[in-house]
Amino acid sequence: MSTRRFPIWIVLGAVLVVALVIGSGVLDTTPVTAAQRAVAIETGIKCPSCEDLSVANSSAQTAVLVRNTVRQLIGEGKSDQQIQAYLVSRYGSAIVLVPPASGWSLLVWVLPLGGGVLAIAGLTTVLVRKRMNELVEPADAARADATLDAGASSDQLDARRQFLEQSLADAFAEHRAGDLSDQDYQALRKRDTARLAALDVRMVATGNVGVAAPVAGTGDGAAEPEGPVPTIMLSPSGVRPKRNRRQRLLISGAVGAFGTALVLLVALFAANRLPGQTPSGNATLSQQAQIQQMLAQAATLENDHQPGGAAQLYQKVLGENPQNEVAMAQLGWLEYQTGVQGKSASLINDAKAKLNQAVQLNPGDYAPRLYLGTVLLDQDNNASGAVAQYQAFLAANPPAALLHQAASLLRQAYTQAGVPLPSEVPAD
Amino acid sequence: MGRYKARWIGIAVLIIGAGLIAVLATRPSATVAEVQSPLVGHTAPVITGTTFDGSAFSLPTAPGHFVVLNFFASWCAPCQQEGQDLVAFQFEHQQSGDASMVSVVFGDTLSAARTYQTMLGVRWPTLTDANGKLTLAYGVSARPTTFVIAPDGRVAAYIVGAVTVKDLDRVMSAAKATHA
Repeated sequence: MSTRRFPIWIVLGAVLVVALVIGSGVLDTTPVTAAQRAVAIETGIKCPSCEDLSVANSSAQTAVLVRNTVRQLIGEGKSDQQIQAYLVSRYGSAIVLVPPASGWSLLVWVLPLGGGVLAIAGLTTVLVRKRMNELVEPADAARADATLDAGASSDQLDARRQFLEQSLADAFAEHRAGDLSDQDYQALRKRDTARLAALDVRMVATGNVGVAAPVAGTGDGAAEPEGPVPTIMLSPSGVRPKRNRRQRLLISGAVGAFGTALVLLVALFAANRLPGQTPSGNATLSQQAQIQQMLAQAATLENDHQPGGAAQLYQKVLGENPQNEVAMAQLGWLEYQTGVQGKSASLINDAKAKLNQAVQLNPGDYAPRLYLGTVLLDQDNNASGAVAQYQAFLAANPPAALLHQAASLLRQAYTQAGVPLPSEVPAD
Repeated sequence: MGRYKARWIGIAVLIIGAGLIAVLATRPSATVAEVQSPLVGHTAPVITGTTFDGSAFSLPTAPGHFVVLNFFASWCAPCQQEGQDLVAFQFEHQQSGDASMVSVVFGDTLSAARTYQTMLGVRWPTLTDANGKLTLAYGVSARPTTFVIAPDGRVAAYIVGAVTVKDLDRVMSAAKATHA
């Protein structure tokens, strides 16, 4: 009984589809939280003052504004579409990173799809033509061979015979392994057997006697070809070669391993998860990752003008790691601002102590240098001390945006201290 | 025949090139970009906020005269470039009362912005926009950005880059002609 096995590429395709479905999170029935919604929306919104960067990935002021607005609108119960429509009404359709499937933007979606369809159609055409050429009619193939063999030497005819025998043996092995369909195998067998028979006739005619013997049965119930057949060594009827079984096992194992790896990779990289969340949904963060997450949350709260919540988180970070200079510097800066507002000398002194400690913990960080310099300038009228801190701030290569923001303070300190202004400070 | 064909192609290229140069030469300066905004032609978002001295400010929905809304920062070179023109524009139009100015701090410390405006001689309200609501409501992404709001409260123009008195007068004239 003949059985058709699925080709390997169908198995691989099925594995890929399953992996993509799992990785896309379509089957995930966990309710989406407001934070997840916000992240999803922010990922699709362009930072207004950046080039090709989403607001989720930018720390620009405009990106922070948009992020805050998205979270505020989510809090007000607005749908994703309403939030997107609001931002489009302010910034225009260019604010959306994913172009809409309408109007001229539709071309962005249609052209790649059309190109893909054309490519597949072209490839299919080429493959079909190739197969058609392979499956030419036996009579045509024999005629073509006769033309080629005209005037061929004895050695050349022998070589051609060996080639045809090998082709038949290969076709038999492929058919046995399930890589060649019954129909294709019979067509190939018929063609090459006819070519071989014609070749034997020519060899007899030219004095090169070919050996003709009945070909071994294929054991699959296929009709035997008529006429002379090659003396090729085929496997005994009904006995599957061990080599093929091993091959199949190896291929099956490789496909399984590849599929498993693909599922894992897609699940790891394609799924939409919160920072630190594992593919299974659990948040198993290391202490360092927890600290990073708390610092990020605190920074967000600072941007949202919630210094109280930010300070609590910075204190929590320092509880975990008293040597964390980022938390130390930010907490010191928050304390200083609060102290200035409330005219609290003790809070200001405490803030200065923290900023000094942050500088000692990481002398190469620009942020505590800027904060400490500003405190020295504004609070202590110590322009020389401020300049020393600002020099370290500049040496640490701060971001250009921060340098712009701090430029007026730097100019003020350098002028008061009578020190020439460095060239990297933006001019007045 | 071939020579004539080449000649005609040459003439066509020359005509197209001359037309392109003529179009580019008659366009406004690249430093003033009156750009497309979904707000243009629509009612301007509400302008309310706090000024430098802490007092509340609110512009009527239909102000009855042109309002030039300028987002700026003290450290931004194009903002500094347009500063004197804005002062001149305000001075010229405060006599006739057909236009007024409102500034909004965008990405700057309040002390630096205030010092800059004091040195410039600004005498119009400047909103601190501490929470960025105005910046977002107007979809501002760069500085300086200037909106011209018509007397009926609709946004007449959205300009990114340094403006001059001439630019603002041109926009006002065009808006008057449109609404006449």
